Amino acid sequence: MEPIAKKWYDNLAKGKIMGIKCKDCGAYTFPPLTVCRECRSRNLKEVKMSGEGELVMYSSTMLPSAKFADLGKKAYGLIKLKEGPVFFTRIDGVKYNTPDEIRKGNEILPVKVKAKIEKVKGMNIVVFEKK
Amino acid sequence: MKKAQIIGVGCTKFGNILTSPELKDKTFQEIVAEAAFEAMDDAQIPPEKIDVFYVGNMLSNTTQMYSHATVLADWLGLRLKGGYHFDTACSTTNTGLGIAAQSILSGKYKNVLVVAGEITSSCPKGVNPLEREAISPTTLWKWTDFGMDHVYGYHHFYDVASAYGAFTTIAYMKRNKLSFEEMDKIMMEVNRAVRKHASMNPKAITYERGSLEQEARKEGFSSVEDYWKSPKNPFFAWPARLFSALNSADGATAIVVSGEAKKYTKKLPIDIAGFDWRTSNFPWGDEKVYPYPQDTLAFKTAYQMAGIKPSDIDYLYVHDCMQIYQLVLSEVAGYFPKGTAWKAVLDGRTMYDGDKPLNISGGRHGGGHAFDASAGMEIYEIVKQMRGEAGKKQMKKPLRVAVQHNHGYGMHTAVTVFKKGK
Ligand SMILES: [Zn+2]
Repeated sequence: MEPIAKKWYDNLAKGKIMGIKCKDCGAYTFPPLTVCRECRSRNLKEVKMSGEGELVMYSSTMLPSAKFADLGKKAYGLIKLKEGPVFFTRIDGVKYNTPDEIRKGNEILPVKVKAKIEKVKGMNIVVFEKK
Repeated sequence: MKKAQIIGVGCTKFGNILTSPELKDKTFQEIVAEAAFEAMDDAQIPPEKIDVFYVGNMLSNTTQMYSHATVLADWLGLRLKGGYHFDTACSTTNTGLGIAAQSILSGKYKNVLVVAGEITSSCPKGVNPLEREAISPTTLWKWTDFGMDHVYGYHHFYDVASAYGAFTTIAYMKRNKLSFEEMDKIMMEVNRAVRKHASMNPKAITYERGSLEQEARKEGFSSVEDYWKSPKNPFFAWPARLFSALNSADGATAIVVSGEAKKYTKKLPIDIAGFDWRTSNFPWGDEKVYPYPQDTLAFKTAYQMAGIKPSDIDYLYVHDCMQIYQLVLSEVAGYFPKGTAWKAVLDGRTMYDGDKPLNISGGRHGGGHAFDASAGMEIYEIVKQMRGEAGKKQMKKPLRVAVQHNHGYGMHTAVTVFKKGK
């Protein structure tokens, strides 16, 4: 078996956001796992993701997780990717400084969002930005 | 037909091992033993008759323990018995009931002790078991978050408050066309019930603080509404407020499960009539993330095993690390028709003396959340209620069938069906 996670992160460093598509059921799995998340098949192919999706909802928090605590509050969103899977990450381009801003921001959802790659705490990760 | 029955339950005070009088100066070994002894005494079973014991604990950082059964054997009086450590996080003691039932129904064992303990407040200084230092919420969650995906999920600005609390609440508002003001009021009423029930449970972490009304007055607010909307109760992650989240706790719980109940106790044995477990890697899901498909599956399969329908359920406990799940999961469980749990709460039907009692132990906010041990407090409540030993909190309606659901971070679903035994 080839390393999967390392390859995915290495690809991010090269500017490529990859996923897997199941050759049996056609479902996408993102980020890549050892199997198709839908049908458990190992018959998979690597595909480039469109980076497009819709922001379904978002919020912010009083208590950011330990790794990101020193970066302060951010907006965190649930994204429905164009290819189907759901992903959770930081969202840029939405307002989140007050409860009222989060409330109003959520009232206009879903909106289109676009993926971008960013180096955070020494790791390349995928975040999304409101168009 | 052979049965696996609960014959004894134990539960320590849920509090803080550094400061709570009931826990202070005790080691982890001792609080686990305290819960185990209460359960064995309740069952009137001598340790010699326990064949095997299963020990739950998640935060090895705070207990500094692996292979817990081995380490605890002497402390529990169970030297040379069988045993092992198991963990499904916050659902552990619920999962333990099913494991115990399997052990008995297979014919291998006659009497099983399920015990779990957790310390969330502090860890030993260095490796000194007698000197503990408090840990911050950030550190607690750093260790707790090892329960979710750490290859991808955690590194993508993972936030449990949004993923588990805020989004579930937003999804419930959208599904039921509730405004934020309506939802906020509903969540206040859920918390009011949580605190009322916990104020009647001396083992609960908020017991000493009394009801939400009493606390509001003590804090100088003229109404519960003002207190609820005050800076004392900020948004943990909008629209979820701080009081709608868990209160982490230290504590231990234990259950004795037997295939020969009559040999030991004259108290009413409680049947483990059905159970089911489902797993999934948090925070991902399909389009129906909130609620999770695994909960639907676990309820359905456990009901089938027990031969019950949702309308047979007299009492329901659902996991309420975030209290929004009281509404979401009581509907998934079929205890309320879809989209109506919030009305039942507003009408007071979910109180201990209502016709649809829900989470009357005080749950993970009122009772307190001692991760692997917490489900044991909820089992304790069911057993005491079924036996009619719940004192002033005794349910008014007859209790024949109870169902308990738990989420273990993340995400393990455990559902157990309890029936009044003979
Ligand atoms: Zn597939």
